[in-house]
Amino acid sequence: MRRALACALIAWLGFPALASAQLFFRRDAPRAGSAELGAAVVWSGGFDQGSVSADETRNSTTDTSPFTLFTASSRTESVTGAQGRVGVYVSRAFSVEAGVEYGRPTVSTRLANDAESAQDITATETLTRIIVDGSGLFHLTGLSFNGGRGVPFLRAGGGYVRELHEKNEVIDTGSEFHAGGGVKLWFGRGKHRTGFRLDGGAMFRTDGADAPKKRRTIPTAGASIVFLF
Amino acid sequence: MKRVAAILFATALVGGATAPVAAYLKLGARVGGRTVTLRWPQMPIRYFVTDRGVPGVSSTQLQQAVTRAFATWDAIATAQISSTFVGFTLADPRQGDGATVIGFQNRPELDRTLGATSFMIDTTNGSIIEADIFLNGSFAWSVASSGEANTFDVESIALHEIGHLHGLAHSAMGETELRSGGRRVIAAEAVMFPIAFSPGNISGRTLKADDIAGIADIYPSTSFTRETGSISGKVTKGSQGVLGAHVVAFDMRTKKLIGGFSLSDDGSFVIAGLDPGPHIVRVEPLDDGDIDSFFDATLNIDVNFKSQFYNKVVVVPRGGGTSNVEVKVVAK
Repeated sequence: MRRALACALIAWLGFPALASAQLFFRRDAPRAGSAELGAAVVWSGGFDQGSVSADETRNSTTDTSPFTLFTASSRTESVTGAQGRVGVYVSRAFSVEAGVEYGRPTVSTRLANDAESAQDITATETLTRIIVDGSGLFHLTGLSFNGGRGVPFLRAGGGYVRELHEKNEVIDTGSEFHAGGGVKLWFGRGKHRTGFRLDGGAMFRTDGADAPKKRRTIPTAGASIVFLF
Repeated sequence: MKRVAAILFATALVGGATAPVAAYLKLGARVGGRTVTLRWPQMPIRYFVTDRGVPGVSSTQLQQAVTRAFATWDAIATAQISSTFVGFTLADPRQGDGATVIGFQNRPELDRTLGATSFMIDTTNGSIIEADIFLNGSFAWSVASSGEANTFDVESIALHEIGHLHGLAHSAMGETELRSGGRRVIAAEAVMFPIAFSPGNISGRTLKADDIAGIADIYPSTSFTRETGSISGKVTKGSQGVLGAHVVAFDMRTKKLIGGFSLSDDGSFVIAGLDPGPHIVRVEPLDDGDIDSFFDATLNIDVNFKSQFYNKVVVVPRGGGTSNVEVKVVAK
């Protein structure tokens, strides 16, 4: 009796959803050639740039290690920015997209350990960060939910990082690769519809305004309004 | 044309300063009520070497070490300088005969002076006519490639004095400690620091960023003007400018330390020759004992303030400058 009830619940909860999803992807899923526009609020995590010391050459008769005048430890703070995207569906499951992201992260540099006891302070600078990227998205249609309106996806790609220091007179460039996933929630079924998209993942970036320059792994997240047409 | 022997600079070995850190300074002369930078009007600089050695160093070895030191300066890509060894001479340095002469002189009365540079300048425009360098033969000298214990390195000291010969004054980019009978260098980051490393040390054969920026500022190449930038601003205490403060720019990428001084009553400073990118700016007072190594002792150099960082990262543009950097210091 209990087993029969469980099967009935599955039939009631699950079968209509699966049927709806199949219907959605047969009739209403984005087709090859469909385009998608998105406007996002994106968040990038902060990361430590490391520490450098202002050293002088030691008189070898007194010691062999450098004489440190002070140390500088920098961190790029997390930042919330904006992103615009345009994508094209190559098939019902696969799309490619290009995006431009804009943000203004603060770089904080802690100055400490001064040889003459200058007070420790944090010096700051604000960067203007622009990332132009391209990505491939694989939509996990088999995991769609909410009647096919919710579609998880995986995303990976790479891009160009351009960071302008204050006054925009010094520019540092770099590259990034990213990987992650998310979900799209469509509000309708038609060929033209609006939706909501959530992204999460990691960015692996090299160069840019970092000092010293190393590969950084940065968590990322985003929320966007998307339009399909 | 009025000619006058104008300036004498010494490198003292056992005298110095306790803790200052600063940067290059250019030699200047008063011409028509204004200060002009001393510089050679044309290159190459033609120099003679006195044909006289000291125990452990022949005149030929002296000439070779001096030529290497000149070549080190000449190799700076961002400065337009060059030199030519003309030949040996029997003349002593400091004769004021129009010939630039470098040689040993026995000066036991100058028991803290390893060497000195004197100039004859055209007082109408600040051009250097002649500069002579003597190395004090009353000290023990060496030209050993790796240095030699208890002797001073000819090439290192010549490199310092040739910096003066080009028009550079002293840098305070260094630290010293008080010792019986004088001070000893703990560390330095400029060949033009006024106090030499201890005997046997050859670190002074290598120019530092501060030296290179300084010489390029006097004799700039096209690339220097195009590729480097500057920071300018003021050092103030209360509502007053601070005269003679050391202002140091630290490049966090290259770790170069280059600086300047506030050279006017309103505390204005300029640091040139900086690589483009973010810099940390730090200000500190000249130690009392140092002042006459850098400035005319009659100037009212303010040393009564605490070392201080500027609270912003200063970004230096390529081929331009960042101005209005005001560092506010407080009295000790």
